Amino acid sequence: MITLHDINKTYPGIVPLHVLRDVNLHIDKGELVSIMGASGSGKSTLLNILGILDNYDSGEYWLDGVLIKNLSENRSAELRNKMIGFVFQSFNLINYKDALENVALPLFYQGVSRRKRRKLAMEQLDKLGLADRAHHLPGELSGGQKQRVALARALITNPSIILADEPTGALDSKTSREVMQIFRELNAEQNMTIIIVTHDPAVGEQTNRIIRILDGQIALR
Amino acid sequence: MKTGFFDIENWKEIGATLARNKTRTFLTAFGIFWGTAMLAMLLGGAKGLEAMLRKNFEGFATNSAVLAPNRRTISYQGFNKGTSWSLTNSDIKAIRKIPGIDAVAPTTTNMAGKMTVSSGKHSTTADVQGVDQDFVKVFLPNIIEGRFINESDVVHRQKNVILGRNIANKIFPDGNALGQFVNLSGIYYKVIGIAYQEAEVNINGSKIDDQVTMPMSTLAQAFNLGENVGGTMLTAIPGTSPTELKPRIFRAIRASHPIAPDDDQAMFFFDVSEQFAMVDNLFLGITLLAFFVGIGTLIAGIIGVGNIMWVIVKERTTEIGIRRAIGAKPIDIVTQILSEGVALTTIAGIAGISFASAVLGITTEMTHTDFQMSFFQAIGIVTVFMILGIGASIIPSLKSMKIKPIEAINDK
Repeated sequence: MITLHDINKTYPGIVPLHVLRDVNLHIDKGELVSIMGASGSGKSTLLNILGILDNYDSGEYWLDGVLIKNLSENRSAELRNKMIGFVFQSFNLINYKDALENVALPLFYQGVSRRKRRKLAMEQLDKLGLADRAHHLPGELSGGQKQRVALARALITNPSIILADEPTGALDSKTSREVMQIFRELNAEQNMTIIIVTHDPAVGEQTNRIIRILDGQIALR
Repeated sequence: MKTGFFDIENWKEIGATLARNKTRTFLTAFGIFWGTAMLAMLLGGAKGLEAMLRKNFEGFATNSAVLAPNRRTISYQGFNKGTSWSLTNSDIKAIRKIPGIDAVAPTTTNMAGKMTVSSGKHSTTADVQGVDQDFVKVFLPNIIEGRFINESDVVHRQKNVILGRNIANKIFPDGNALGQFVNLSGIYYKVIGIAYQEAEVNINGSKIDDQVTMPMSTLAQAFNLGENVGGTMLTAIPGTSPTELKPRIFRAIRASHPIAPDDDQAMFFFDVSEQFAMVDNLFLGITLLAFFVGIGTLIAGIIGVGNIMWVIVKERTTEIGIRRAIGAKPIDIVTQILSEGVALTTIAGIAGISFASAVLGITTEMTHTDFQMSFFQAIGIVTVFMILGIGASIIPSLKSMKIKPIEAINDK
């Protein structure tokens, strides 16, 4: 599903920062993996590249058979929309839209009709047990509910991978476990490829594979 | 573009963002509202005032002048300072021969003030004036019924009169004045026309509405005026102003009247064309001023819109980042920001133009002068405003386009 081949990334500056050095990585379809590393290790940069949010300098990144390299803003927006479902630490819901509208938003950018996208969003919310919260604003939801809404938004376009950035970072341990449980179910039941970036070992332990990153390189055990 | 400008979601979002900070939205909208209203009201006001002033000269030939004798201000050839003199028919003939003169329209009164006009048991008083056929070439009154004095009336000294509409209403309350006879100092005259004027200018003592007008030759005979003429109006040919002809006219008059060569005060000469030119210049100035003030207010309003859009983009950086992360293209974001600016400008602009239109409408009702702007003028002002509103929103929306989706992730 994901293949990184000799990826290099340097942030230019007076002292150029070589954050990723010849990163090679392969993730199969249906894997549930976590990427762990200390702050400054380059895991955020790796996440940005995996999420088509940032470019890399050299190497090749293949996502579901598509070479992700030197894409235009429009093309990368389109690929993000169709292939990647994002889940963020701070949920990143739009606070003046209710849960249903938030979930439906990616479909809006695909040009799906209002009626159809609301129907699909409702189904998705229902799957995650949030049907009764569809018309609540994010401010009226608990942390766990917000993250589930965010997950519904990530899933609605039926993406190739779910990319979660510290998905439990803002949640208490009980809710964290619930959210991780959902990730595991998604992975087990729908064979969804899920990549979780975290620094929490408890989260890492619940994934099937831990990729550790150290000083811009994949650390070998 | 698939993601629609017309999608209801887009409009709900515009409503939501504008409603989020109501005070700010209101103040910005008020800037636009006031800008459009100011521009429209100033332009309408300038136009209305001009119409009011022009109404004073309605019916007058623009290239005309009025000439009348005054008292001498310099003693000359035995005539003391302060003595009077009269224009005569031969002066009129001499003036007609001057090259550059188009029409000469002498008029005179009975030289005895208001007279009683009667028919049957109805009577009133009126100024009586005599005119010839050229009168209408300089000043065209509005004829309600019948006709005005023509050459045949003048040549044959017809006892025909034109009644002002106020006079006609008083002595013929039933409204059948035309063809009837009126008694003026024991002589009966046939009513051949009823007239009024729009202009505020009095000729021979009052407006034509309150006068009895007859052929000058008839008047001279009836009141023993001889060859004397009260005064004359005249027009110059196109391209020549009456003032340019003034020295030649004065020379022609001095040829038959003992008036000192440097005594220009002895002749009253009023160049109407200069008044028209003055009004033109005045209103060119007022219109320019209206434009400057209006455009200034407008630009202030537009800058307000640009400013507010800038703030909105700044405030929503994270939100825009999220949208970009989940698949919004730069054009989607630009469309959204631009729509907000356009919606704000359009709504406030239409409100402003409607307000101005109402104010101008009320003014028009009250003054009976057309202050109202035309429909296309109103549309034009709103359109210009919309274009400027889009223009002002372009910089902030270009900025919004540069927001990277990473911002959503980094901004924790």
